[in-house]
Amino acid sequence: MTEHHISSANFGRFLEKLLDVSRLIAPVEEFGKPHFKEISARDIPDVRLAGYRTVESLKTYFYPLIEKVSRYFGEDESARGEGFIILGARGCDLEGLEVLDKVFSEGDFQDPFYVANRDKVTVISADCTDCADTCFCTLVKGQPYPVKLFDLNLSPQKDGYVVEVGTPKGQALIDSNKGLFSKVPKAFLDDKENNRRRLGDLLMEKNRDFKTRLDLSETHKRNLENTAWKQLTKDCVECSNCNYICPTCSCFLLLDQEADKQSERYKVWDACLKSGYAKVAGGANPRGELFMRLQNRYHCKFDYSFDRLGRFTCVGCGRCCLDGCAGRIDMRRVFVELEKKVPLTAKLK
Amino acid sequence: MHENPYRPIKAQIEKVITETPTIKTFVLRPGEPMSFLSGQFMQVGVPGMGECPFTPSSDPKKTATIEFSVMKAGAVTARLHEMKAGEVLGLRGPYGKPYPIKDYHGKDVYVVGGGVGLAPLRAFLLALRHELDHLNKIEVRFGARTPSDISYQTQIEDWKKWKNTNIVMTVDAGAPGWKGNVGLVTTILKDGDVDIKNSVAVVCGPPIMMKFVTKRLLDMGFAGKDIYLSMEKNMSCGIGKCFHCSLGSYFVCKDGPVFTWEQIKDIPDPW
Repeated sequence: MTEHHISSANFGRFLEKLLDVSRLIAPVEEFGKPHFKEISARDIPDVRLAGYRTVESLKTYFYPLIEKVSRYFGEDESARGEGFIILGARGCDLEGLEVLDKVFSEGDFQDPFYVANRDKVTVISADCTDCADTCFCTLVKGQPYPVKLFDLNLSPQKDGYVVEVGTPKGQALIDSNKGLFSKVPKAFLDDKENNRRRLGDLLMEKNRDFKTRLDLSETHKRNLENTAWKQLTKDCVECSNCNYICPTCSCFLLLDQEADKQSERYKVWDACLKSGYAKVAGGANPRGELFMRLQNRYHCKFDYSFDRLGRFTCVGCGRCCLDGCAGRIDMRRVFVELEKKVPLTAKLK
Repeated sequence: MHENPYRPIKAQIEKVITETPTIKTFVLRPGEPMSFLSGQFMQVGVPGMGECPFTPSSDPKKTATIEFSVMKAGAVTARLHEMKAGEVLGLRGPYGKPYPIKDYHGKDVYVVGGGVGLAPLRAFLLALRHELDHLNKIEVRFGARTPSDISYQTQIEDWKKWKNTNIVMTVDAGAPGWKGNVGLVTTILKDGDVDIKNSVAVVCGPPIMMKFVTKRLLDMGFAGKDIYLSMEKNMSCGIGKCFHCSLGSYFVCKDGPVFTWEQIKDIPDPW
């Protein structure tokens, strides 16, 4: 692991240099909360790397809401991908990116559109220095700092950042701006570890009421047929915001339509909460009731995800909890209630 | 660049055959080589309207043309039913896993179908035809709503002449001239039809029919691993990416569409 230090003054210059060669997406505070935004040189003073994850997830940058993927015959769509740098991705954002990578880039088939977008993006991530009331990464085996998939990671200091190199691509960014970086004093590395520990403790404290005895996957397996789900999901109004705001919900629909006298095919985000999501042509609907669909979303993230992708597909970002939910359902509250309701006779798979 | 899995291959409609008042068979000639194995499905796209997943109904060994028997059920299939020979469609696939036909060698094959479920089963039976010397016997039990809803009526008469093949049909509601059984397909699944301990059952039909047929087969003594079900789900991408056809941990498009009851029995109400 190679680490460097960059001062706050030099960091501003570093961003200017990056803007000379690439588009730059960075967290900027708007209406009191951090949002990802494409920035220009004059926005550099507004970039906020302290704090916690942005309101919206990263997925839009790799997997757009709507994307033309083919057409009925003739020259095919080519997956080009747009190169840019993402600054300020958090540990949970990168866990989410890992899930999308597994879905779209692995298996017998790859999605060439995602792969092209992904290949051209450089990720400069950052440790959290605070957490939102709904953050719960540590409940789902995550941590408030990036451990994977970054090219460079920034750990905020009193002056500047400790910069960890994750890939040769990240090292190249350091090499081409050598004068801006210096050796890291030992005290700064201690500060970095102390901040990480402090955040871990803070998250533990904030989520004290939501700690469960059983592993979440086991809780879900044991409640697969529990009618308690009806009660737990009674406030859901099917708005599907949880699907859209989630960094790992990646359902889509292939939509064909006429445009300019040509039939084109689009890949459009879909939402498993919608009533017609799983309905078949004959009219049968395997998840006809809303509680079944919300239960399925939980199982998708905490149960089925292990067989499919070998991990939880909830990253604990808390975007879908309370503020992100029209019914103000708190996922963590569901975990606790679910554990209370584990039937003693429930069979394990 | 990776191959684009969303690209439809142009296929011309060579012939349209009206099977029943609601089912038509489309004979398609793909512009690029395409083939399938019995049990796999393809995405048939009506330009500008959308795609629907169908299992081909023709002999998998014949690849110059591929046939699909389609029931008019929604917007895309309604438009498809208006299409004529010469028009073009889009095809993607084949997707999913086929029936493990070699595993059926030396056994009785109990084929149970309902409604338009006979379409994939026609491809299955035509594939079995090449294996007749290796099978003990084929027992087909098929149900339709009325006598006029039975597809492939003249072909069924030919299938009855195959070696060791027996076909029994039933309708939910009879009509003048119908001399066969009246009642749901479960009423013609009789103990003794096949040697349960050395048989496989292959079932295809609407979800509600599959549910009750599976229950009946289990009551007859079939083991879950010997009941092969062709699951109907709302497949969109066909390649395990879009999550629409999720069935427990499985994706029907890539892990199915053919599952044994043993594989899916612990999923609450898998239909």
